[in-house]
Amino acid sequence: MKASFLPRPAVIREIIQQNAYIRTFRLELIDKTRPFTFLPGQFVMLSVPHLGEAAISLSSSPTALPLFDLSIRRAGSLTEAVHTMATGDQVGIRGPFGRAFPVEHFAGRDLLVVAGGIGLAPLKGVIDYCLYHQELGDDPVSGMTLLYGSRTPRDIAFQETLSSWQARGVDCRLTVDRAGDEWQGAVGLVTELLDNCTVTENTTALICGPPIMIRFVIAKLVSRGCGDKNIITTLERHMKCGMGICGHCHLDGKLVCVDGPVFTLAQLKKMDVMELG
Amino acid sequence: MVGLATSFGSGAMTNSIGELEGADVLLVTGSNTTETHPQIGRNILNAVDHGAKLLVIDPRKTDLARQADIHLALRPGTDIALINAMMRVILDEDLADQLFISMRTEDFIELRDYLFRLDLDELARITGVSLRDIHEAACIYARSCKSVICYCLGITQHTCGTDNVQAIANLAMLTGNVEKEHGGVDPLRGQNNVQGACDMAALPAVLPGYQDLTDTDVRKRFEQVWGADVPPVPGKSLTEMTHSGPDGDIRAMFIMGENPVISDPHLNRVEATLKQLDFLAVSDIFLTETARLADVVFPAASFAEKGGTITNSERRVQLCHRAIPPIGNCRPDSEIIMELGRRLGCPGMDFDSDAEIMEEICLLTPIYGGMYYDRLAENWGLQWPCWNRDHPGTVFLHKYYFARGKGRFTVVAHQEPSEQPEEKYPFTLVTGRGSYHHYHTATMTRNSRRLVRECPEALLEISRKDCKDLELHSGEMVEVSSRRGTVLVRLEVTDRVKPGTVFTSFHFWEVPVNKLTVDALDPRSKCPEFKVCSVNVRKAAHA
Amino acid sequence: MLDYPERVLPKDNLIPLLRKLAKDARLIAPVRKSCGDTLFTEIVDVDNAVFDLKNKPQTSLKPFLLPQQEILAKYRVQDGEYTFSPPDAARPTIYFGVRSCDLTAVLYMDLIFSKPSRDATYFDRRNNSLIITLGCNDPLDNCFCESTGSGPYLEFGFGLQCIDLGESYFVSAGRRKGVDVLEKWGYFFRPVTEDDEQRRYQLFLEARGRFTRNVQVDHACRILQENPVPESLLEKLSSRCYDCGGCAYVCPTCTCFSVDDMELSKTNGLRIRSWDACTSSGFTRMAGGHNPVDRRRQALSRRFLHKLKHDFALHSKPSCTGCGRCVDICFGGVDITTFIDLLTASESV
Repeated sequence: MKASFLPRPAVIREIIQQNAYIRTFRLELIDKTRPFTFLPGQFVMLSVPHLGEAAISLSSSPTALPLFDLSIRRAGSLTEAVHTMATGDQVGIRGPFGRAFPVEHFAGRDLLVVAGGIGLAPLKGVIDYCLYHQELGDDPVSGMTLLYGSRTPRDIAFQETLSSWQARGVDCRLTVDRAGDEWQGAVGLVTELLDNCTVTENTTALICGPPIMIRFVIAKLVSRGCGDKNIITTLERHMKCGMGICGHCHLDGKLVCVDGPVFTLAQLKKMDVMELG
Repeated sequence: MVGLATSFGSGAMTNSIGELEGADVLLVTGSNTTETHPQIGRNILNAVDHGAKLLVIDPRKTDLARQADIHLALRPGTDIALINAMMRVILDEDLADQLFISMRTEDFIELRDYLFRLDLDELARITGVSLRDIHEAACIYARSCKSVICYCLGITQHTCGTDNVQAIANLAMLTGNVEKEHGGVDPLRGQNNVQGACDMAALPAVLPGYQDLTDTDVRKRFEQVWGADVPPVPGKSLTEMTHSGPDGDIRAMFIMGENPVISDPHLNRVEATLKQLDFLAVSDIFLTETARLADVVFPAASFAEKGGTITNSERRVQLCHRAIPPIGNCRPDSEIIMELGRRLGCPGMDFDSDAEIMEEICLLTPIYGGMYYDRLAENWGLQWPCWNRDHPGTVFLHKYYFARGKGRFTVVAHQEPSEQPEEKYPFTLVTGRGSYHHYHTATMTRNSRRLVRECPEALLEISRKDCKDLELHSGEMVEVSSRRGTVLVRLEVTDRVKPGTVFTSFHFWEVPVNKLTVDALDPRSKCPEFKVCSVNVRKAAHA
Repeated sequence: MLDYPERVLPKDNLIPLLRKLAKDARLIAPVRKSCGDTLFTEIVDVDNAVFDLKNKPQTSLKPFLLPQQEILAKYRVQDGEYTFSPPDAARPTIYFGVRSCDLTAVLYMDLIFSKPSRDATYFDRRNNSLIITLGCNDPLDNCFCESTGSGPYLEFGFGLQCIDLGESYFVSAGRRKGVDVLEKWGYFFRPVTEDDEQRRYQLFLEARGRFTRNVQVDHACRILQENPVPESLLEKLSSRCYDCGGCAYVCPTCTCFSVDDMELSKTNGLRIRSWDACTSSGFTRMAGGHNPVDRRRQALSRRFLHKLKHDFALHSKPSCTGCGRCVDICFGGVDITTFIDLLTASESV
């Protein structure tokens, strides 16, 4: 593969406000003569004029191409600038990069998706992808459960998506760290939701969220008998190239951008990773 | 400067930097050498690797203090008490070098009598250091024949800065650790060319080469070459100028490469002074906070865009080569001064080259007498004094006799800092350089993306105990206030400072810590007491 | 390798040869600067250049093949469009007087920039280069290439390798481009005699005996394959690391970089690649402030482990070439040789 540092221009087709600090940008590449396809779990390098690049995970399913989504939380100067952009504005895209979720092995499995905050973004594509194929009738997963934790009810992102998933048969369970009286749902950590879930040999767990959440969810899943190969997570690291050269995401001999960002627990155990404590 | 000049007759490093590696004992005081002078730090660490003993006197547990055999973590502003205690121990243990004292020094008896009147337990109590550590450090220092003392602004930036330096000079003379290779008293200069600036008389009371302004013959010589009268009355010190206040008698100012609006103590007063001027001109490579107040700003060339020389801590005059032509409208400092001089009708402002300027320096400045450009181009420059073309330069000072003749012992007594902790302001704030990554008010270093990434903001260092007592958390914003002002800064819990002391840097304009510092000056050096003031720390009021 | 020709270049013919070569390419060679530095420099005037083939150049070829700052792309933001264009093409360049350690480092960079993806900007420069090395008959201070298997002479990887026989150079070709030079400018060279071969070997034997430093690189690599680095060792080293990044900058195999945009005007700018150092804390800090690497101690060991453990596992060779530049530059005296010395000492106790 020839690596290029030349991004391809993409235009913002739609902007969806997910909560006070997360927005989804629905993009389309301008030049369609060169192919662009990906799998859920992969990421792109997003360029914003004068501010450089940041690694952002693709939050839609490739089945929605030529449109694709990037769900972005305001965190630094680049993401801050993206949030000021409007439909019709252009950004630059390089990629896709990284290893995807092993969606080809999900047929017949019980998917248990555990997400915290913006961590739902990379997993959203998996759920959409599986639902799409399920509804077409090919290689359906046996069932999908989503456990989603947010700080407060106001922080819950992807609300419309959540209700559409619920309607399409995904068992969506939400929890918040703290809430006022108006909140009817669960209050507590996402790990507590796990207590009421069935975990069997047929469960494949997909996890994404803050490092501390990943650590506790993994610990709980292991104690519930989930196998190391069936616990899959995706890691976030500072990256500059996306192509395994710049060294920023170096992780004990591996590179998150090419060897990950998706890793099974079996792989993580061979490395010294903060997500495992 | 003044302190060492009074004791030895010269205010510069007596040794060369390279000699530090050969020392058997290194006493480092008031200097975070590895962060602020990393090249000299390397020499110190090399010496340690070769088996030298390292003694560090610093209220903070700096990286260098962690390498020390003994770290004397004294209460800020009690250096004299500590040095006096060490000298008393040396006398008690009969480790003083009587032969050196009689051959090379004067006024010892007075100091001896004074030291014998002191109570060691009392001194230890003042400093907050255990008598055992003081005793051990004193013996280690005195027993070696190759002991070096390095000090920096932690010694001089006190109201008793001159006394501190004289105490250090006393200690070195008491044990005969001066006037030789690998033994001496070495002030490390705070900036790359501050030695050169002092040598060239950027000081109020001397002419280049520390020649006496009141000496008519000296003045006459300068007047002859400069074609202008040289006033016999000393000028004002920096702080006297920047703190003259709204009613001050200074009406116009030209500031070159300084950012007093951030770097001088008691900032509110500095700003008031500059704002009331009739005219302010500033020359700098970036538009600093001070330059923003100016009527006229001269864009100056950076180090890479000009030639000239830089004189470092070890008195070494080094030639600089221009790497690139000046960018845009900027010009070398010398051109700015000459152009300004010409327009103001000053004669002789027509040097064609840096070498020609140096020729005049050689002519008028005896210690630079042989430092012509063609000689500086060889090797790594020359160390002053270098009296004439044939002189090889001077590796260590005061061989055979001190510059002033005999080294003079001076009785110095402990005096408390100008401000004491009290109920309302219970903490002692120490200021200094906080990070390897920024230089001074960061006018240059904050233009580097990488340096900003490595050190994005100022932090207030506080001990775990104080943080807990105040019910604060590491990483939160706090309000630090003194009698003069208040600043907001992020808190960092660390084991570098002891309970009762907090530390922060002066690199960031957002945290103008000199709004807090006192403008009390050392009466002789006029150096402000940046190192000690009393403050309160509390949770920042959130908007 | 046996197919590659060998010739002898009388020293009188060196400058004439370089003059010919410099007609079609930029010539870079070590030059003694007036202030006493030896640096790889572009030679504009072959006759009056002060070549320095005796001292160790203070920099490797890294600043040329992976410049401290280089343009990866140019961008425009105009009329609602955001477009990128590639940087200018590289010029053909000949590097002369390159040491074995530095050539080995270039071969390592070739590996880094080709796997898993091929870096277009790097290979544009690389494919336009011919590297002429100079075997080291006199290993310099702090050199330990013998311990890393990257000197004093090399067997492959160079365009041409020169060995100083005194009056002449023994020249071996190692790549097609080197063969081309021997063929095109054959009249500058003479055939190799048995005596030349024996002299070359004698010099090699003597050079190997002249190293002043014995660094047990292999032993350290093997220890690290099986064992973690002792905490006490890391504590000791990190207490003297001041996070300056000097080691990574002078290291010919430290290729970590950053990419940032430089705004030239509202409508256009450059995407710049610049050297970075994995020892600095901002290297891994994420937007929002979280840092997966616990300051100095971990950052420092990352650099050593990358060279001695991970790369050894991948390529059966460490990515330290024994050039000794980090030893020359480290303020704290905690360079890779200190690490190896302490590690192997702790193991043998």
